[in-house]
Amino acid sequence: MLNRMHDEGHNTTAVVISWTLCLRSLCTRQKQAKSREFVKKERSGLRQMACSVLFHCPCLNPPTDPPPPPSQASSSTSNHPLHTLFFCEECDAIRCDRCVSVEVSAYHCPNCLFEVPSASVRAEKNRCTNTLSVVPSDPPGLTWDTQSSSISLGAINEPPFLLFCNFCRWDSSELGIKFDKPTGLAAQLQRHEDSAPEMLEFERLKEHFATYLRAQQSSSATSQQSQPHHRSHHTSLTVATAAASSALARDIPGVSKHRRKDKDRGAGIDKEELPIYKSRIESASLGTLGLGADEEDVEFLKKLDTENGIEDVARLEQRWTGSWQGSIHSRDLRPLRMPLHSKKSKRCPVCRHILIKPEQKTQSVRYKIKLVAANYLPSIVPLFPSLTPQGLTAAQKKALSTKGSTMSVDEGIDHPLVSMHAGRTYPFQLAFTNPLYDPIHVKLSVQRQSLPSTSSSGTTDSGSTKKVPPNFAINLPTSSFPISAYAEAWEYEDEDEEEMLLDDEALAIGGSGISSSNNTGSRKGKGGSSSANIGVIERKANVTVVGGEVVVGKEGRGDVKFNMMVSYTYRSDEPSQTTSIKGEGKTRTAASEMKTFSFWVVVHLGGIIVRDREKDRDRERGSEENPREG
Amino acid sequence: MPLLPPIWYIKAEFIETDTGNKVSRKATIAGPQNIILGGKTIISNGAIIRGDLRRTGPGHAVVISLGRYCVVGEGCVVRPPYKTYRGNFNYYPMKIGDHVHIGAGSVVEAASIGNHVEIGKNCIIGKFTIIKDCAKIEDNTILPPNTVVPALVRFGGAPGVFVEDLPESTQEMVEQYTKQYYTRFQPLEQA
Ligand SMILES: [Zn+2]
Ligand SMILES: [Zn+2]
Ligand SMILES: [Zn+2]
Ligand SMILES: [Zn+2]
Repeated sequence: MLNRMHDEGHNTTAVVISWTLCLRSLCTRQKQAKSREFVKKERSGLRQMACSVLFHCPCLNPPTDPPPPPSQASSSTSNHPLHTLFFCEECDAIRCDRCVSVEVSAYHCPNCLFEVPSASVRAEKNRCTNTLSVVPSDPPGLTWDTQSSSISLGAINEPPFLLFCNFCRWDSSELGIKFDKPTGLAAQLQRHEDSAPEMLEFERLKEHFATYLRAQQSSSATSQQSQPHHRSHHTSLTVATAAASSALARDIPGVSKHRRKDKDRGAGIDKEELPIYKSRIESASLGTLGLGADEEDVEFLKKLDTENGIEDVARLEQRWTGSWQGSIHSRDLRPLRMPLHSKKSKRCPVCRHILIKPEQKTQSVRYKIKLVAANYLPSIVPLFPSLTPQGLTAAQKKALSTKGSTMSVDEGIDHPLVSMHAGRTYPFQLAFTNPLYDPIHVKLSVQRQSLPSTSSSGTTDSGSTKKVPPNFAINLPTSSFPISAYAEAWEYEDEDEEEMLLDDEALAIGGSGISSSNNTGSRKGKGGSSSANIGVIERKANVTVVGGEVVVGKEGRGDVKFNMMVSYTYRSDEPSQTTSIKGEGKTRTAASEMKTFSFWVVVHLGGIIVRDREKDRDRERGSEENPREG
Repeated sequence: MPLLPPIWYIKAEFIETDTGNKVSRKATIAGPQNIILGGKTIISNGAIIRGDLRRTGPGHAVVISLGRYCVVGEGCVVRPPYKTYRGNFNYYPMKIGDHVHIGAGSVVEAASIGNHVEIGKNCIIGKFTIIKDCAKIEDNTILPPNTVVPALVRFGGAPGVFVEDLPESTQEMVEQYTKQYYTRFQPLEQA
């Protein structure tokens, strides 16, 4: 694929990429498959290999409850990296991509980058009229520029024209598709699409429900005024969904009884009055879809065994987005017009306030409104002091420097997961960065590992109910600690930090509610701790590093992963408010203008290496069959 | 952030310019008069930048321009795209924005790369590719010539295809990362 050639004349290395690679041939297919597998593995690997602090969105469990322990599978769905989360000021709560409601604010083609007005989106069936994608034999997503990809049969610039792929040399004569002119191929293709059976069926369905939908729309127009946030596009969608589900309810016995409450909403025409829908194609005539045609299928299957035979099967990715069961033969696949992408606005699911509103312009990365959690909550980065190269020898540094190369944002910041031995204690650090223009005080409390009645904490999957000692204990400072305010200057001044730090001490918030006196929820390790590691380690700019310890139990096993509640107290702009509106994960100190916001995070530091003694025991168990052991 | 460990380089191996660019002496910079570096940009060991492949004709011509806080990784090849148009073979200029990191071993022949773009290791970015702002190209991706990568998406695979939309805070994330990276990139006097 890539030939590095030595260019004699210039005495430098020139690189020539030859794109004669045929994406249809099996060899590249395998390469592709491999590299994709590799990418996938690497992507998931990164997530597993790094120490992480994930932030909890309370949308899946009641806000008053603590999150489920991280050893439970259900916990993984509600913890997210900070930079993917949103923050609703109105509700004073964290929101995530799973719970926000999403609206399309603009459509565009990801290839030619034209914005498509929503009026034509419907007419053109959500696809671009300029670009084609998914050449039948190409991997899905590969795009195709219609300008450069048409060739003329016969004389130059004389009809008929064919579509021609620059990558794999496929042309549309295989499908019997020819064009009258070399421009507007996508539009010409749409004519083909429009006569496809699924399109005809869909048109028929729409016609069937037309009267019902119209009635719904006019009746919902009145109710719409009471809900100003709904856009008409959105409403019509809901109506369509309701209509579809009503048809479903009638046809499937038992479903209809769940529908009663819908009925009150849907004033106007009663769904029961709609005539029964008859599809264009009788299900008896479905032979062509694989239910009949036995001999042909047998032939097809036989061919699969031959070399490259698998090429004849259309891959799942190429088929499963179709709304109609298509042919399984790759030769029947058709080029499709490029599916459109969209820019999305996001709203708080509770109060409907806008959290994300992108600028209209297609490729702009700016937002008119962008309420992301990273601007409200302190970020938390786990560090292992033993792994940070501070006291390095020159030789070690040299080794590092030759190894050093660019890392991705994902991997660059995190330490790899740490392997810990049972029965030992490991110091770790958490670096908190304050994004607010005011100093904050942070207080941590670690969720208890062993819970009553459930099989204790960790990943011990022995379903026994007897009390098992926790796999590990976490010691962190129980008193609150300060983090200085964020200032633009931090980014530019690397040296003059000392004096600004001094100011900050004076700014520290006056003592009552947040002093270190209350030790609630703290769980000191039974053995006591070598307290030198625990407490504030370093303060620099708007970053405070606190130290903690993992005490791994003698019988510990599994992941060192725990829930931690982070509460931070900040000075609010508004004077003391009345009371909270909806108390999601939030408590307000009523007395002053100091406010406290609490949220949960799950900290993943590493895994416990099972003790050697256990291994020995395993070995013994393994050799029990040996008669000498008795 | 001052807390992350430094990324050391051997002082004698790099030239630092007035605007803070750090260019490895082990990199091949061909036609430097045709190359613009925006400042605080790092050209790593073994990188090859072909400013010499310029449009035919008299006078100066900018062949490759890189913005601020960029990194061209080790062993990368950055060379302008070319094509034969109406019988004339020509090279076309390449423009790379600010905060763009190109991973080690990648080959780039793009027409334009926006701001806050991350290109992974061992990628091939085909001729006349256009990569918009805040896009991310995964490691080992191959983008065929003329590929368009829209803003705020992740592309991956061979050939590279759309994988997912990126979060709204991508710009800040990447900017913070590239600035940190420059700060962490520290000289080491050789013993
Ligand atoms: Zn959520
Ligand atoms: Zn398009
Ligand atoms: Zn092709
Ligand atoms: Zn809200």
